[in-house]
Amino acid sequence: MADETVEKTEDTAGAGEEITETAASEAEAVPVASEAEAAPAVREAVAITPDVGFVKELISSGGADLKKCYQCATCSVACNLTPDASPFPRKEMMWAQWGLKDKLMGNPDIWLCHQCNDCTAQCPRGAKPGTVMNAVAKMTISRFSKPGFLTKGVGNPSALILMMALPIAILAVAIGIFGSYSPTRGEMVDGKLQHAGDIVYGQFLGHWPIVGVFTSFFVLSIIVFALGIRSYWGALKAHAADEGQPIAGSGFGKLGPVIGEIFTHKRFGKCDETEDRKTSHMFIFYAFGLLFLATIVSTLLTDGPLLWGGEGVLSPYPTISVVKLFAYPGAAAGLIGIGLITINRFKHQEKLGGLGSYFDWLLISVIIVLMVTGIGSVAFRLANIGALAFPTYFVHLSAVLFLFIYAPFSKMAHMVYRTVALTFARVSGRDLGVD
Amino acid sequence: MADPKLGVYICSDCGIGGALDIEALENIAKNQYRVENVQSVPFLCSQEGTQMIKDEINNQGVNKIVIAACSPRVHYDEFDFDPSKYVTERVNLREHVVWSQMGGAEEAPEAAAEAPAAAAAAAAPVEAEPAAPAVNEFTQEMAEDHLRMGIVRAQKSEPPEPAIMDVEKTVLVIGGGATGLNTALESAKAGYKVILTEKEAELGGWARKMYKILPDKAPFEDVKAPNIDEKIAAVQAHENITVLTGANIDRIEGMPGQYDATISQNGSANTHRIGSVVLAIGWKPYDAKKLDNLGYGEFKNVVTNVEMESMAVAGSGSIARPSDGKQAKRVAFLQCAGQRDPEHLPYCSSVCCMTSLKQALYVTESDADANAFIIYKDMRTPGLYENFYKAAQNNPGVMLTKGEVTSITEDGTGNIVLEIDNTILGEKVRVEADMLVLATGMVTNMLPEGVEKVTDMTPEYIGQWKETETQDGIIKEVIADPVALNLAYRQGPELPYLKYGFPDSHFVCFPYETRRTGIYTAGAVRAPMTALQSANDGVGAALKAIQSVELAAQGKAVHPRSGDESFPEINFTNCTQCRRCTVECPFGVLDEEENGTPKTNTSRCRRCGTCMGACPQRIISFKNYSVGMIADQMKAIKVPEEDSKPRIIALICENDAYPALDIAGLNRIKTNPFYRFITMRCLGGTNLVWIADALSAGIEGFLLIGCRFDDDYQCHFIKGSKAANERLGKVQETLSRLMLESERVQQVQLAMNEWDQLPKIMNDFADQLKEFGPNPFKGF
Repeated sequence: MADETVEKTEDTAGAGEEITETAASEAEAVPVASEAEAAPAVREAVAITPDVGFVKELISSGGADLKKCYQCATCSVACNLTPDASPFPRKEMMWAQWGLKDKLMGNPDIWLCHQCNDCTAQCPRGAKPGTVMNAVAKMTISRFSKPGFLTKGVGNPSALILMMALPIAILAVAIGIFGSYSPTRGEMVDGKLQHAGDIVYGQFLGHWPIVGVFTSFFVLSIIVFALGIRSYWGALKAHAADEGQPIAGSGFGKLGPVIGEIFTHKRFGKCDETEDRKTSHMFIFYAFGLLFLATIVSTLLTDGPLLWGGEGVLSPYPTISVVKLFAYPGAAAGLIGIGLITINRFKHQEKLGGLGSYFDWLLISVIIVLMVTGIGSVAFRLANIGALAFPTYFVHLSAVLFLFIYAPFSKMAHMVYRTVALTFARVSGRDLGVD
Repeated sequence: MADPKLGVYICSDCGIGGALDIEALENIAKNQYRVENVQSVPFLCSQEGTQMIKDEINNQGVNKIVIAACSPRVHYDEFDFDPSKYVTERVNLREHVVWSQMGGAEEAPEAAAEAPAAAAAAAAPVEAEPAAPAVNEFTQEMAEDHLRMGIVRAQKSEPPEPAIMDVEKTVLVIGGGATGLNTALESAKAGYKVILTEKEAELGGWARKMYKILPDKAPFEDVKAPNIDEKIAAVQAHENITVLTGANIDRIEGMPGQYDATISQNGSANTHRIGSVVLAIGWKPYDAKKLDNLGYGEFKNVVTNVEMESMAVAGSGSIARPSDGKQAKRVAFLQCAGQRDPEHLPYCSSVCCMTSLKQALYVTESDADANAFIIYKDMRTPGLYENFYKAAQNNPGVMLTKGEVTSITEDGTGNIVLEIDNTILGEKVRVEADMLVLATGMVTNMLPEGVEKVTDMTPEYIGQWKETETQDGIIKEVIADPVALNLAYRQGPELPYLKYGFPDSHFVCFPYETRRTGIYTAGAVRAPMTALQSANDGVGAALKAIQSVELAAQGKAVHPRSGDESFPEINFTNCTQCRRCTVECPFGVLDEEENGTPKTNTSRCRRCGTCMGACPQRIISFKNYSVGMIADQMKAIKVPEEDSKPRIIALICENDAYPALDIAGLNRIKTNPFYRFITMRCLGGTNLVWIADALSAGIEGFLLIGCRFDDDYQCHFIKGSKAANERLGKVQETLSRLMLESERVQQVQLAMNEWDQLPKIMNDFADQLKEFGPNPFKGF
């Protein structure tokens, strides 16, 4: 009875007088009416502003079928990754249809989703919730990685040439100033023969210019990411407060378990329809790790000795060296990983109703180019075919630079935003990790 | 008819011969009824069997043919003898007797189990049906009684002489909207003259007032420009169609094939002879003034879907909102406004979801940034309109959510603010719109002005209660208000309705039919529907209207006894003017003369026999169906003196109960062997005199097995089973006069698909009778 009274009181917010009277008379009759006051605050209506422009943007960003959803919630039932309470992606599909961007982007759930696409495979209406989540993720990157137009550029096939021109031009200029377009083979330096007759990429573009160009863009990306993280974290917090569940403190304490989860790819392991993605993504993930280590080691070998006045070892390194210990397995894992990712996409094409968005494929393509030209550069150098080695190396450098420049704006940014969202989900109690 | 000569033909296959003593059956026909032509044949339905019967008809003058074999619901072609010359009576030995007595003994009633079944064990085993090894005494007695009843029925039947009359075949179509235009056109194309009347000055109705219309062709995805003008042009050009605009129906009198319709136009009235009527007067919007709780009337920018449509026409798709003429770019639609609501329209109008989707498209097409929010209880887009829903939903500007609107306010600038609870957005939300459209529902135009609520109406007719004193007591009935037809019928000027004013018959079984034979309804007048559905409805109604005049011309009944040539004949000399027949007829067939005697209008009749059952004087009979005939059938039942052999009569309706028993037999479900089945055209024909007669002859009880009545009625004659039930209320008096328990007569409602319940229903009743003890009249 008490419950009934509470309900009626809630309902009368702004409704006709007659009902209010009924509720009041019931309240008089029922002694426990005071409980109604003590009950949790009456739910306030939340003002929403439907945004048709945002809906259209989402549709063009890969969520082409989002309007087909009729809210049966098969997706949320199919999903192995969603928390039980207010599960995704059903609610996101509804928000997407109404263009409620603040709800979509202020919610960590977008990144809790790993695009297993169990939902997409089972969706009776072909609305492809997994794809829509991916499109929202892209919109999130575009919103928090400033300037946002770069994400739009990265996601827009007609801007591809322009986007590619930037790293190529930077490298071309750097070679023009610091290197040589017609590098000679190994030569005498200070009376010592350095790799005489061999291909030495350092003569194409030297160590310092490379460090200069790449480090500056790397740092720039870090800065963009840092700003992005800050404003994304702020947005997540603000949204949680709006939802009546404010959180306190930073997320650093939770970062450890999140990284542990990422290293083990636990969440990928929960996918049903695309369980093979765990392996492929793990290959590419560790490939990047190994190649990153190789870069660190090579920098240490080259520049480390300078610290104590010694002489750095310049590339090329011998085939058996500490750098290659990381580089070769990294390259192999990268090639396998990106190969598997590509194969998987085609394998699942029918089940998931498509190959995925341009935004995804741009990153996949860049990594393919990166891996192939990286291995090609080594191979052609060892084979001593200059006519192939230098152009390959140039493409390789361009691809790496492309990746560096656009890391905060491309699909690559998922590694940062997903980590932030997973951390936030732990802090807010939304998702305390998977088994 | 020539001298009556019976032939009795018994089939001994399908297990009949194995389960029954065929010779004993033959002897009943030969000795008890003195029938000369008695034959038993294996496979009576075979070429040889039917040829044998034909030979006896042709060579020996047999003209009343009793087929004791299977159900008349099978092999009807084999046993089809010209009904205008011969009486054919089918005694259902197979399904109703043999097959329903084959079930396991454990299911048999107590008395049956005690019976000396072994006595018949000597009977020869039958190869064809090993399940029936011996002749069971009870089964044999049942078969014998059914044969007796069949022979008596054939004796008392005469081939009907159809009431052939001169008919006018012109179809009168009332209403020139999407429905009426198509009805007229299709009737005309079929070669029939049509008079099409429209009360407005122009044809076209609602269909002409739309900015866009719903998709009317596969794939049912896109709205399109109105195309009713093509239909109007075709109607106006057709030589068979006379169009009368600005016309009203002043009066319709007569019967199918012989109606006289008085139509007034421009102040002058003319009477036209017509054959049948299609009523297609459509719908009107629900009065939105009653929806002040939704802000209608209070806020200028709250409009109805009908008003929205005219705004779209005025702005060629661009919507200028009423308060300030600003283009409405955010338009909210509230579905089920005053619908599915016991306070307003309790039903779903089934069209408004599509209408709102259509109008939402007007909004989104008028501006790239414009959007429409549709708030629904359920989206209902029946059939292929699902494709339209999908297509509209795919428009980025069309936003949908389930929800309940808890508050509608205005923000001072004319914008409407809605608070919506229980949304699928996950929370209670507040959304602002430039304008709110209420998706109000459709009300049938049969509903007269001034009726406050569709739920407040008198039963069956919209009108006033009236009490009439007769010799037989007071008759209380509703006198309908005139609306559209102005029928000169004893039962009132308009059609009875089922619910909410819709003049429909059973919507599944008898679409287009009304309870006035020859008058059919189509389109939104009978149920809410779209223009396309209405147009299709018009075709169906046109076919019914044509059928009606064609059958009237041959003196035959329309559905459900299509082709029946019999009709009720009244022996007026004994009529007491009690008016029971004129009141109880479900189809308003009988009018009244000045003095109160009934006046028959044969082509209105559906031949159910409700009048026959109603008549306390028992003066209404058919050539092949009468009170006396059924009474004689009952008398033909042999009532044994042993208390272990009770006899119970079941009156079974031919439409549901009869086939239900057939199905029970097909499934070899064991039923109680003490029942004797008498087939009724409808339980409405049940005359109370039988009950007194039969009970005083020692019958233990009466079970009336008929169709469901009232709200979800399944009676083919609408009110027949109900009329029987009402009469049973009066039987108590008779029973107490006989010092018998009133529960000895009961009625059960049974749908055909409930056949599996028959054994229980029958055994329960038999058990109850057993508790009362044997009928004290037994043996007198």
